[in-house]
Amino acid sequence: MTTFGFLSLLLALAVTLWSPNAFASSDYHEQLFLQPLPQSSLLASFNFRSNTSQQAFDNQHFRYFPRALGQILQHAHTKELHLRFTTGRWDAESWGPRPWGGSKEGGTGVELWAWIDAPDDDEAFGKWIALTQSLSGLFCASLNFVDSTRTTRPVVSFEPTGDHQDVDELHLLHGTLPGEVVCTENLTPFLKLLPCKGKAGISTLFDGHKLFDAAWQSMSVDMRPICTSDGDCIVQIEQTIDMVLDVERSKRPRSNPIPRPLANELLACDTSKPYNSEDTCFPLEKGADAAWSISEVFGRTLTGVCPLTGSDGSQEHSVCLRVPHEKQVFITEGSTEIKKEDGFTRCFDLAPAQPFDLSIPEQTIDIPVPGEEPILYAERTIVGHGQERGGMRIIFGNPSNTTAVDFILFESLPWFLRPYIHTLQATITGRDGIPTDIAASDLVTSTFYRPAIDRERGTQLEIALSVPAASTVTLTYDFEKAILRYTEYPPDANRGFNVAPAVIRILNGENSAPVYIRSTSLLLPLPTPDFSMPYNVIILTSTVIALAFGTVFNILVRRVVSVDEAAALGAQSLKGRLLGKLVAIRDRFRSKTTKVE
Amino acid sequence: MTAKSGDPVSPTADASTPSTPSKSTQRVPAPESPQAIQTRFRVIAAFWAVIIFLGFPIWWQTTSIYRAHLPIQEMVDWADGKTCRPVYPLEIQVVAPSLQLPESQHLLRTTQHTLDDLNEFAAHHLRLKLTNDTNGSPARAGNDGTDTSDSNSEDAPDVALTVHVRPEEGLLAPRSELQPHTTQLDVFYPPSQIPSPSTSNPPLSIFIAQELQRLYGEEKATIAHILSGETTGLDSASPELTESISRRLRRSMKYAETYHLSFSLFTPGSAPSSWDIEGAVQEYLAPLLDAFSPISNFTIDTQVQLYATFSPMTPAPVYDEVEAAWTLKKEDLSAFINAAEWPLNPSIGSGPTLNFILYVPDPSQSPMIVKENRASSWIVPQWGGVFLLNPPLAQGQTSNPVYLEQDSLQSAFKTFSHQLLTLLGTPSTPSSLPLRLQTLIRVRAASLLLSASSTMGSLARLTESLPSIPIPANVASSVSTTLSHLSATCSHLREGRFNAALASARVAENEAERSFFEKTMVGQVYFPDEHKVAVYLPLLGPIGVPLVVGLMKEVKRLVAAWKARKRV
Repeated sequence: MTTFGFLSLLLALAVTLWSPNAFASSDYHEQLFLQPLPQSSLLASFNFRSNTSQQAFDNQHFRYFPRALGQILQHAHTKELHLRFTTGRWDAESWGPRPWGGSKEGGTGVELWAWIDAPDDDEAFGKWIALTQSLSGLFCASLNFVDSTRTTRPVVSFEPTGDHQDVDELHLLHGTLPGEVVCTENLTPFLKLLPCKGKAGISTLFDGHKLFDAAWQSMSVDMRPICTSDGDCIVQIEQTIDMVLDVERSKRPRSNPIPRPLANELLACDTSKPYNSEDTCFPLEKGADAAWSISEVFGRTLTGVCPLTGSDGSQEHSVCLRVPHEKQVFITEGSTEIKKEDGFTRCFDLAPAQPFDLSIPEQTIDIPVPGEEPILYAERTIVGHGQERGGMRIIFGNPSNTTAVDFILFESLPWFLRPYIHTLQATITGRDGIPTDIAASDLVTSTFYRPAIDRERGTQLEIALSVPAASTVTLTYDFEKAILRYTEYPPDANRGFNVAPAVIRILNGENSAPVYIRSTSLLLPLPTPDFSMPYNVIILTSTVIALAFGTVFNILVRRVVSVDEAAALGAQSLKGRLLGKLVAIRDRFRSKTTKVE
Repeated sequence: MTAKSGDPVSPTADASTPSTPSKSTQRVPAPESPQAIQTRFRVIAAFWAVIIFLGFPIWWQTTSIYRAHLPIQEMVDWADGKTCRPVYPLEIQVVAPSLQLPESQHLLRTTQHTLDDLNEFAAHHLRLKLTNDTNGSPARAGNDGTDTSDSNSEDAPDVALTVHVRPEEGLLAPRSELQPHTTQLDVFYPPSQIPSPSTSNPPLSIFIAQELQRLYGEEKATIAHILSGETTGLDSASPELTESISRRLRRSMKYAETYHLSFSLFTPGSAPSSWDIEGAVQEYLAPLLDAFSPISNFTIDTQVQLYATFSPMTPAPVYDEVEAAWTLKKEDLSAFINAAEWPLNPSIGSGPTLNFILYVPDPSQSPMIVKENRASSWIVPQWGGVFLLNPPLAQGQTSNPVYLEQDSLQSAFKTFSHQLLTLLGTPSTPSSLPLRLQTLIRVRAASLLLSASSTMGSLARLTESLPSIPIPANVASSVSTTLSHLSATCSHLREGRFNAALASARVAENEAERSFFEKTMVGQVYFPDEHKVAVYLPLLGPIGVPLVVGLMKEVKRLVAAWKARKRV
C-alpha cells in the first residue's frame, strides 16, 4: 500500500488550527504543501489565512479581510460561514485519506453552510436567502438557486468551529448545488479576496487552465470568530485550494495539448511476453516516479513571497514538499532548503520578489513515505430500473482490523426523490466475503428524519451508524420518483437530476478535528415528457371539439334536399352560375377545335 | 351532410347537350316552410346569444386587468408645476440692542425696502424681523442654526440668520463679519451713522441689504436654476456662477437618506499595507458628518487593497522633467480607476455609495500629479473622489512606508471632506457651514419636490399610454400619499419651515419612487397575440367560420325579406 504521511501532517495542522486556544499571532499566513501521490499524481494544497480583530470587523475597517465578503456577512448576520467549490472525485483507494481530514472540501458542485444569528427560524431563513443571493453575485455562482427545497438544517452532522457567545440564537443552514459547474469565473473572485491577489506569493501559481484540469480540486472559504479565554475575539478567514494534478497531463504544453503516442523505439516493452515483436508491445510500468517541476506542472513559476506574511518574524516556510530526503530536489538560487527531522518533509525559504522553481528529476527511491489508510471507504449509487421506482445503495468499508467506526450519514435528497425509510436494509460482509442480512436497527444507533414536502423542502436524513472492524456494510433503501410539472423541468431534462452527495462525519473522539467524507453526486433519471405535448393536446382537443361542433351545428342549420334538387339550387347560386359559365366557355372552345379537325 | 354533391353538369349531359342543362331535367325543391326558416333563425340566434351573453363576459372577466383609479389630472398638474409654485420666505432676525426702538424699526423698514428693491427673484425673498431680546431666541437660533425647527414651536418659521447690529468706535464705514460656526452675522457700524428716522435711505440699511443679498446670492441662483429647469435661472447671475452651479448640480449625488462612504487605500505594490484610518476618520471626518446628521445619515467602511494595477487600457503616467514628477493627463483621469479589477462594489443596503480612493503610487512612479494643473486629487461626478498621496521617501529607501500615520493622511482627508461636500451638493458660499447646510436643505427640498412631481407626471403618462398594464391598489395609495406630502411640502415652504418641508419631500419622493417602480405593474409572462392565435386557431377557425357564415346568411335573408315587405 502506498504512503500518505503528508496527509496526516495536514490533518495535524488542521487539529492545531481547530483547537480554539491555538491561533497564530501574525495576521496573514499562506502555505503551499506539495506531495507526489501514486499513479504520477501530485497533490498541491494551498492555504491562506488572515485574522482581523472583531472590533475592526464590526466597524467595517477591512485590511486583510475582504470588504465585499465582510459586508455580506454583516448584512446577513452570519457568524460563521463555510463555502466549498469542488469538482472531480477523490480516489481514496489509491490516494488515501483526504487532505485536512476532509474538513476543507465539499461535495461536487457548490456547498454552503452557515451559522446565522436570528431570533427565529423564519428570520434565519430570510437572512440565509439574502446571504445566498449576495454570495451568488460575489462568486459568480448560481447560489441564488439555493431555495427552501435545497436548504436543510442539519442537527448532528455539523458543529460550529468558531467560538460563539450566544449559541441559542444561532441557526445552522446548509445548502448544496450538486449540478453547479465550478470554473474560472469562480476562481477569479476567489483570488480577489486574497490580500496579495495572485500577484505575489504562492497564489501566483493559480491558473484556471491547470486548476480546473485537475483530477480533483476543491476551493474553500471559511470564516469564523475565534476568542481567547479573556474575551479578545478575532475574525478569521481561511481560504484553501487543494488539487490533485495528473503530472503527465499537466506537463503537456498548452500549444500542443493533444496526447500523442510514443514512437515505437521509445516504448519500454516487456520482452518476456511471447507475442512481443516489432509491432506488438506490452508496456512496462515505470519503476521511477516521473520527473516534474513547478513551472512544468503549473505552467508558471512562483513569484516571491507575499510581503504580508511573517511580519512578526515567525519561522514559517511558505512552500513545503514531502518526499524522502534521499530524493534529489533542485531549487532556484537564492532560496534555501530546510529538511525536517521526520526524514520526509522539507521546506523552502524563498527570496522575496524572485521567481522560484523546484524540480524533481526522475529517480528511483525505495524508501516509501510512511502513510496511513483512510478510516472509512464510502460509495453511493442508485440501483433499480424503470421510470417509477429506484433504490439507493451505500457501501461503507472499514479497513481496520481492530476498531469499529462510528459515523453520521447525512443525506439531503431533493423532494422529487421520495425515500421509503421502512425499506432501509443492511447487509454486512466480513473479510470472508459472505454477505449476511441483518436488521438495520442493529447498526443504526440513532436517526433524525425530516420528510419532504412537495415543492417546499427536501428530505433530510441523518443516521448515526457503526461499522464493525474488518467488514463492509451495505445500506439500501427504496425510493419513488415523483412526476414533475411541465414548467419544473430544466432545459436539459433528459440529462437527469442531480442528487447532492452524502456527507459522512466520522465520530472519532471529543477533542480531535472533525473528519468528513463526501460521496460523489448522483444523477437521477426522472420520467420526462415530450415537451411539445401541451401544444399537441391543445390542438388535438380543439380539432375534436371543432368537429363535434361543426356536425351538430350543420345538422341544426342546414336544409336537407335530394340530389337533383341540390343541382337545381346550385345552378341558382353564385357558384352554380359561375360553373355554368365556365362549362359554356369550355364547350365553345372544344367545338372550335373539332371544327379545325 | 350537405345534399349538394357533384358537378351541376354531369359528364353524360356534357357529351349529348353542349349547351347549358335544360330546366326540364331538374326539379327545384319546394320552398322551405316558414316554420323551418323560423327554426333555423332561432338556432343561429341561440348560438350567438350564448356567445354574446355568456362567452364574451367570461372572456372579458378572465382576461381583464385590475386598474386602480389614479388622479391623473392632479398628477399631471403637479408635474407641470400648476399646483405649487415653491416660494422661499427666509426669516432673518435683526438684533440691535444699542438702538432705540423707533430707530431700529426705521432701520428695519428701510433695509427691507432696499432688499425688496434689490431682489429680482420673487420666489426667494428675505423677511426681516426685529428682536430686541438679545439673550432669547435669536441667540438660541443663532447658536445652532440647523436645529431651529426643534427649538421653535411647530408653526413658527425657521430662523435662517440672525443679524447683530453693533456700534463700534473708530470705524469709517460699516463692516460685517460672518461667524463661521453659527448662523450669525455681526454688522458693526460707526456710532456716527445711527440712522435717524428722517433719512429715507440710510447708508447702514443699504449696507445690510447688500450684505444679505451677497450672502444669499448663490442660493438664489441655485434655486432659480433648479426651478427653471436647466435653463439660466437668474438674469443677473454671472455666467461663471451659473456655470459653477450647473456643474455642481451635475456632479452631486441624488438625495438619499443614507450614504455609504467607502474609503479605500490602493497601491500598486505591497506597501503601505495599513493606515491609521480609525483615527483619521474620527479626527477629520466625524465633525462634518455630525453637522450633516439632520439631512442624511452616513455609514463608513474602509479597505486596503495591495497590488492594484492600472488597467491595460489606461495610458501609463509620463515622467515630466520640468515638474520632476510623473504626470497623468487630464483626459486620461476617467480611465484611472480600474473598475474591472479593483474591488469597489457598492455597499450592501439602501442608499448610494460614495467611494474615496487614496492612491499611493509605486516609489518608481512617485511623485504622481495631474499634468495640467499639478493637482493631486479630483472628483468623479456622482461616484466619489480620488487623492494621490505621495509619501515622502526616506533617504536611500526605495519602498513606501508600511504604515501611514494619521498626520500623513491629513491632507487626503481634508480633500475628501471637501469632495464629500461637493458630491452632496453643498454650495460653496457663504463661508459659514451652518448657513451652507441650511441652503442645502432648501435646495434639496426644491429638487425633491420637483423630482417627485415629475415622477408623478411620468406615472400618469405611463398609465395613459399603456392601457394593458395593471395598476394595483397600493400604487393608488402611494400616489395619494405622495400628493398629500407634496402639498404639505409646498405649504411648509410657503410658511418658511424648511426642515419640515424637507421631511415631507423625502416621504413624497420615496412614495413616488415606490409607486413608479411597483413590480406587479410589469407583466410576469408575456405571450404574444400571434402565439395565442396560432395555438387556438384549430378551435376558433372551424367553429367561427360556420357561425359567421350562418349569421351572414340570416342577415341577408332578413334584409331581403324587409325589402320585399317594403316593396309591397
